[in-house]
Amino acid sequence: MTYVITQPCIGVKDKGCIDVCPMDCIHGTDADSMLYIDPDDCIDCGACIPACPVNAIFADNNVPDKWKEYTKINANYFIGKKK
Amino acid sequence: MLETKQNSPRSYRLVGPQRQLDERETPHPKVDRGEFGARLRDWRKNRAGSDPFRRLFGGGGEGDPNNTLQQIMKQAPEGKVNPNQIPVDDPAEMAKQIKGVAQYLGADVVGICKLDPLYVYSHRARGNPAMGEKPGDPINLPHRFAICLGFASSYERYMSNNSKISDTEYQFGNNHAIVPTFQLASYIREMGYPATAHHHGRSSVNPIPLAINAGLGELGRHGMLIHEKYGSRLHLTVVTCDIPLAVDEPVDIGVEEFCKYCKKCARTCPSHSIPFGDKTVVNGVEKYAINVESCYKYKLAGRGEWTNCVVCVSSCCYNKADTWYHDLAMWSVKVTPPKLRVLVVKPLLWIDDLIWGKRPWKHMKWLGYDNAPEPVYCTIDGCTAKHAKLQHKKLHTA
Repeated sequence: MTYVITQPCIGVKDKGCIDVCPMDCIHGTDADSMLYIDPDDCIDCGACIPACPVNAIFADNNVPDKWKEYTKINANYFIGKKK
Repeated sequence: MLETKQNSPRSYRLVGPQRQLDERETPHPKVDRGEFGARLRDWRKNRAGSDPFRRLFGGGGEGDPNNTLQQIMKQAPEGKVNPNQIPVDDPAEMAKQIKGVAQYLGADVVGICKLDPLYVYSHRARGNPAMGEKPGDPINLPHRFAICLGFASSYERYMSNNSKISDTEYQFGNNHAIVPTFQLASYIREMGYPATAHHHGRSSVNPIPLAINAGLGELGRHGMLIHEKYGSRLHLTVVTCDIPLAVDEPVDIGVEEFCKYCKKCARTCPSHSIPFGDKTVVNGVEKYAINVESCYKYKLAGRGEWTNCVVCVSSCCYNKADTWYHDLAMWSVKVTPPKLRVLVVKPLLWIDDLIWGKRPWKHMKWLGYDNAPEPVYCTIDGCTAKHAKLQHKKLHTA
């Protein structure tokens, strides 16, 4: 399992989730429109959920249907980006 | 489903029927089966094993299991029961004798309770060919008593929490407890009574509820035993046996009221696994329910360290160096009537934060290891998120 950042993050990027993530697995560049969770590192603690002011974060088995594609968007973001 | 006959101590309450747990449901076997993902399984098998000193206490990697006491003791056969049984006329005297022997062997604290079958696993996760046991075998443990032993770890080294130093101390504690437990069970078998050692190498019981029932301490918000003197830095082992023994009673040292107001472990838990809220019912037991999976996954992932975290143990107000003022503080909580304890607990919490800090942690250098926080290097190209080391992260709030 992993947690997934979805559409409400776009344009908001509050970054409160970065402060609370124990695994530092939430990433993004200044140019990105939203933040992304690395599914390989996420330990499913759920700390990011209450930290998000716009309720953009869900467990991957609980993502609303309209934002289902964000599970793949989060995972794909990291392809080729890991040092 | 089994009904328990044990009286419930103050720190947890039996409110419904309980189900015996299967050892295969516990986190170690789950990660070994790959249920937490290939990456965590690989970390468990190899992370700690990258260091020769750490391999002494287990950790896999390129190490030979025959160089690790824990791995050897996993496979050790249980000796026979001596046919010349020594009569026991006075169970209280025998309990005293056994406690004396346990302390001589190295246990810091000892207590005895009846063996509640609810706290015996229904099936084993690992086999022991020397005993003819296979993974998945049902466990039959017909013993009447559980002798619970506690072995204290170093307060100082735990204060370097979430580091290679505290990890080593934790693993050493687990290994250190194996031999005395094995020897105590052997002693009872040599007296002519069945006995089985349950330690870090091999166990068929859940030691925490048994230790609470045996009066070693109470159940804390962080899901561990809290002892009056050693806090939660006790490694617990158990010898189950059938020799007639007098049993101890659960104790009230004030943990119920302390945990209600303190919440320091919940504020400092890196993986947010400890609840701020009230107790909930899990498997018929009303207690503070931690998120076992996120705790375990964080512990394994460990932010680049080895495999144990112990932040909650270090944060706990009951975990302090052996000083007269700590003894006085804990004594004052214990002797105050429960309804008035809030008047003692709240000033103590304020003093604790003042003296020991809101996130207890110490910089330490030991045997070439150094736990100084290092800068966090992000491994994602272009990432501009401001990642921070654990010691610099904000404390959690409810």
